[in-house]
Amino acid sequence: MSSTLEPRLAAYIAGRMPEASEVAVDSLGRISGGASRETYRFRLTWRDAAGTPRERKLILRRDPPASLIDTERRIEFEAYRAFHGSAVPVPEMLWLEEADAALDHPFFVAEEIAGHQASPGLLWAEPYAGCHQHLAERKWTILGEIAKADPLALGLDKVMEPVTADACWKRELVYWEGVLDEDEAEPLPIIRAAIRWLRANPPPPAQKVGVVHGDYRTGNFLFDTKGEIHGVLDWEMAHLGDPLEDLGWSFNPVWSFGRVLAGGLIPQDEAVAIWERSSGLKADPAALQWWTLFNCVKGQAIWVSSARAWIDGGNREPIMAYPPWALQNAQDRAALKVMGRL
Amino acid sequence: MKPDVPAVLIETAGLLARNADPSLPPAERASALGLSAALLGFAAQAWDGAAHNLVQENRAIRSLLGEAGSDDDLRLSALSVENARLRAALIALQAQVEGKDPAKEAAIWAELVASTERRLVAGSPA
Repeated sequence: MSSTLEPRLAAYIAGRMPEASEVAVDSLGRISGGASRETYRFRLTWRDAAGTPRERKLILRRDPPASLIDTERRIEFEAYRAFHGSAVPVPEMLWLEEADAALDHPFFVAEEIAGHQASPGLLWAEPYAGCHQHLAERKWTILGEIAKADPLALGLDKVMEPVTADACWKRELVYWEGVLDEDEAEPLPIIRAAIRWLRANPPPPAQKVGVVHGDYRTGNFLFDTKGEIHGVLDWEMAHLGDPLEDLGWSFNPVWSFGRVLAGGLIPQDEAVAIWERSSGLKADPAALQWWTLFNCVKGQAIWVSSARAWIDGGNREPIMAYPPWALQNAQDRAALKVMGRL
Repeated sequence: MKPDVPAVLIETAGLLARNADPSLPPAERASALGLSAALLGFAAQAWDGAAHNLVQENRAIRSLLGEAGSDDDLRLSALSVENARLRAALIALQAQVEGKDPAKEAAIWAELVASTERRLVAGSPA
């Protein structure tokens, strides 16, 4: 698969770089993970207009035949582009292709931020075990920066669906409940009870309608041994909404990796304080609990969707069976914990 | 567990066979084998207790629903179909008694907690 993609990708890029000659792609290899997009790294080589040889390490993100989550790649692309060069570190976006012709499915090409890690599993041993405090400081400071950003100034209101401050919670709950209705392969009593509670106890209107990353957690950013964050990734669920949604997702107990601490890193109250300092917003405890429980529902909907994509045969990659098997029970446990039942 | 274990094992067997191809890029092989190993581990965990847990759960839910009956067909596929029927009925019952029948509500929550513990996956992140 990789070797057949290389010349097609090179041909596509050559069309986007009319001043370049001898455009070639090599070392294309798939990066593990990526249940919602296929991710590859590759090396691009070319000669510039002066004939000087050039090379750059890049990333290809391509839609799979069926995805864990159905998202618009243009929204993801524009979210990355909006934050590039800001206090929110993200890779540079280069080209977005929404038609199937070039590589069979839509895709985009971006800069590779090389030499750093994303896997949470690495964090619990040396040389990363000593970086947790600083990593946490950076993690929730950057999330605060996302919350603080003005979506209009970033131009994201042009690609993301608008929502009013008092409608944020309902829109998200209705959407993810709909995903469960459509995709669940077995009844989910705990999650259905959580939905009834969420509907009966809505949170206050959002303090502001901001940019919500949608999947901000340990595992979706690139870190180094000192706890510095070099790139926030996986913006495919980005949307406009209540910034507390992202904070609640970061506190979903499944992202504590069995370590009780928020994100497996620090106590939750410390993380909240960092986020409040950075964002200039307040995390009302009751509202935050609502959003944390909501994110247990959302998480379960995502794992259920993954199972559905596998069951229906649209995508039989093992990465599609892994999330429901590894996380469905954990997500039920998380919901029970947030509801004070476990 | 969904997708069903036998279907995933069949697919995993095919994937392992394809990964025997020596021309496959090492990074792709490593990713496929790592995930396959994890899936096999989950399947192994579920194997011994799956039927027992479903029978226990079905019995507990029938009791909450006031239903008679038992599981005569012990194939996992049959137990799962009955389990889905009973869990759907449990959702309806729970919605009906919420705020009206504290004792029944508590009994349902106790079973939901017990069911979650029965289904616990080793190394669970939560």
